[in-house]
Amino acid sequence: MKSGDIFGYAFGAIRLRKLRAGLTTLGVVIGIAAIVALLSISQGLQISITDQLQSGFATDTLIVSPSSGGVFGGIGGAAGGSASDFSLFVSDVDLINDIDGVVASAAIVQKVSYIKATDQTVTAYVVGVDFATYSQIYSSTFVAESGEILTSPESKTAVVGKSVSDPWENGTLICSVGEIVEVVWTNTTVRPPVNQTVEVTVAAVLAEIGGLSLTGPSDYSVYLPIEDAQSLFGTEECDRIIVQLTSEDDETIESVSEAIDELFDAQVSVTSPTAILSIISSVFSTVELFLAGIAAISLLVAGVGIMNIMIVSLMERTREIGLLKALGMKSRTVLAIFLSEAVIIGLLGAVFGIGLGWALALAAAQIFTGGGVTAATGQAAASTGFVITPVLTPTVLLGAFGFGIAVSVIFAIYPAWRASKLKPVDALRYE
Amino acid sequence: MAMPIVETVNLRKTYILGKVPVNALCGVNLKVEKGDFIAILGPSGSGKSTLLNMIGALDTPTEGKVLIDGVDISTLNDNRLAEIRHRVGFVFQFFNLIPRLTALGNVELPLSIAGLSKNEKRKRAENLLEIVGLTDRMKHKPAELSGGQRQRVAIARALANDPSFLLMDEPTGNIDSKTASDIMDLVQELNEKKGVTIVMITHDQNLAGRAKRIVRMLDGTVFKEVKQ
Repeated sequence: MKSGDIFGYAFGAIRLRKLRAGLTTLGVVIGIAAIVALLSISQGLQISITDQLQSGFATDTLIVSPSSGGVFGGIGGAAGGSASDFSLFVSDVDLINDIDGVVASAAIVQKVSYIKATDQTVTAYVVGVDFATYSQIYSSTFVAESGEILTSPESKTAVVGKSVSDPWENGTLICSVGEIVEVVWTNTTVRPPVNQTVEVTVAAVLAEIGGLSLTGPSDYSVYLPIEDAQSLFGTEECDRIIVQLTSEDDETIESVSEAIDELFDAQVSVTSPTAILSIISSVFSTVELFLAGIAAISLLVAGVGIMNIMIVSLMERTREIGLLKALGMKSRTVLAIFLSEAVIIGLLGAVFGIGLGWALALAAAQIFTGGGVTAATGQAAASTGFVITPVLTPTVLLGAFGFGIAVSVIFAIYPAWRASKLKPVDALRYE
Repeated sequence: MAMPIVETVNLRKTYILGKVPVNALCGVNLKVEKGDFIAILGPSGSGKSTLLNMIGALDTPTEGKVLIDGVDISTLNDNRLAEIRHRVGFVFQFFNLIPRLTALGNVELPLSIAGLSKNEKRKRAENLLEIVGLTDRMKHKPAELSGGQRQRVAIARALANDPSFLLMDEPTGNIDSKTASDIMDLVQELNEKKGVTIVMITHDQNLAGRAKRIVRMLDGTVFKEVKQ
C-alpha cells in the first residue's frame, strides 16, 4: 500500500470521530503549549536578568568583600551587616595592588543616604570611590553625560547617576551640574541615631547605564571622592574592593583570587562577575529543566489518553481490521495505519500547541512587563527597562515538535501492534 | 488434468470453546477446479464457514493441508498469507463494507492495498461497478444503498484484484428473495461468461440449484457431493 494511501486512510478514520480525535489532540496541545510557554518565558527571563546584570559589568574584574557579606550582602549596603569581626579597609587597596596580575584596585565605601536638593529629596546609594581608578576600571560606564569627572577631584564634589538627577525621565531634574545638594546619612550605630550631613557640588551627571548594576556603576548612586565619603561615614573600612586584572582569562582570575584569599587569611570572598553570570545561568538551567519536566508530565498524561482512545478505537474497528486483512492487507500496513493516526494527532497537537504556548508566553510577558516586576525594582524611576521578551529557540521549537509526535507515536505502538496481530478470522467474527 | 485451484487434504480444525474441544472439521477432502461453481449446503454448525475460512487463508488448519494454487498455506508466514489473500475474493453475508467510504472507495480499497496508482484504481473500480450494475451509485455510501446494492458493491470489491476464485459466505442470507435472485443471476453470469471460479455457502436449496456442484456437509464432514 502506498504511504499516501495509508495516511489518507488514517486521516479518514480520524475525521470520522472528530470530537474524540479533537479531545485527544487537545491533550497534546495542552502539554506542548505548557512546555513552549514555560520554557520561552523562563529563557526570556534569563536573558532579561542577564542583560540587567551585564550592564556596567567589567569581565576583567574581581570583587573582594568580607566573606560573610559577599557581593550580594555588599549591595545591600548598611542593611547587609557583616556577622564576623573581619573588615576590609580602604588602605587594603595598596596590598592588593602589589599582587601579580592586578592592574589597579578601588575601594568602595557605600551607604544608603538621602540626597536633598532645593525642594526634593531622593534616596540613593552614596558611594565613595577613587575617581581616577574607578573611571579607569569602568571606562565604558563611569562616563559623564554632562559636566566632567576629574581624576583628582576637588573635595565635596559629586558625580551623580542618571536616575538620581532625572528620576522621572521627564526633564524634571532633582539636580544638575553646578548645583549644590545636601547628602544626609543617618548613623544608626549610635544611640540615638544621628544625621551626618555634607553639602556637595554636582560636578558631573553620568550617562545612563541601565540594568541593575550588580557590581559596577549604577544609575541610582551618588559618587563622592573616597576621602569625603570616609569622613561623612566616619569610617576607615570599606564595603568592597574592585580589582582590575591584566587579563580576563580564567588563569589570571584563578591566580589573583587565590593570592587575595591568602592575603586576607581566607576571610574575604573573591567573586568574579563572570562567575556570577555562570551561576545564574546554571540556576536557570535547573529551573528550566524542572519546568520542562512538569510540562512533560502533562504531555505524558496526553500520551496515556492517546493510548486509551486508540485501544477503544481498535476494539470498535476490529471487524474493519479483519476485513482489511481478508482483503490482503499485511500486518505491517495495519500497524502503519494506526501509527499514522497517532502521527496526525501528534502533528496537529504539536503545531497548535506551539502556537498556543507562544501566545501564552506573550500574554504572560505582557502581564509581567506591564505590572508588578517594574514596580518591584523599587527606586524612583518608573521604568528600569526590565522587559521580559519570551524567547523561542529553535531547540525548544523542534524539541516540542518532536516530543509531541514522539509521545503520540510511542503510546500508540501498543494498540497499533495489537491491531496488526489480530487474526483475520477472529476479527471478522468479533461483535 | 490441470492442477486444482484449491485442494484440501484430510482437513481438520479443532476449536477450544471454553475447555471443551470442538471438532469443526473432521477430515475434509475437496477439490476446486478452474471455472467451478460449488455450492456448500449444510445446517448451522456443520463446518461450512470454517471450511470457507481455511480455503480463503483466513484461518489455519489444525491438521491436514490446504493447497491454494498448489501452495500449502500452513507453511506460509503472515506476509505471504496476506499475498495469498490478494488472490481470493471474499463476499460476506453482512457485506462488511467500510461505512465512511463511498461505493467507489470500497471497491478501490483492495486496489489500494495492492499498491495501484490513483488513476488505475479509479478506472478499474468504475469498470467493476459497471459490471455489477451500479454505475449510477458510485458516489453513494453504504448507508445510502439498499441491501442488494451493498452486496453488489461487495462483489465488485471481491473481484477487484482479479482473484483466482470467489468465496461467498451466504451472499444472499441478508437480503430479500427477489434481490437474492438478482444477485444469483449476477453470480451465475460471472461464472458462465467471465469464467470466475466460485465457492458459495448457502442454506437455500433453490439457490444451491444454480451451482454446477453441490457439496453437502454435516458435522464437519462432506457426506454427499452432487454434480448437476
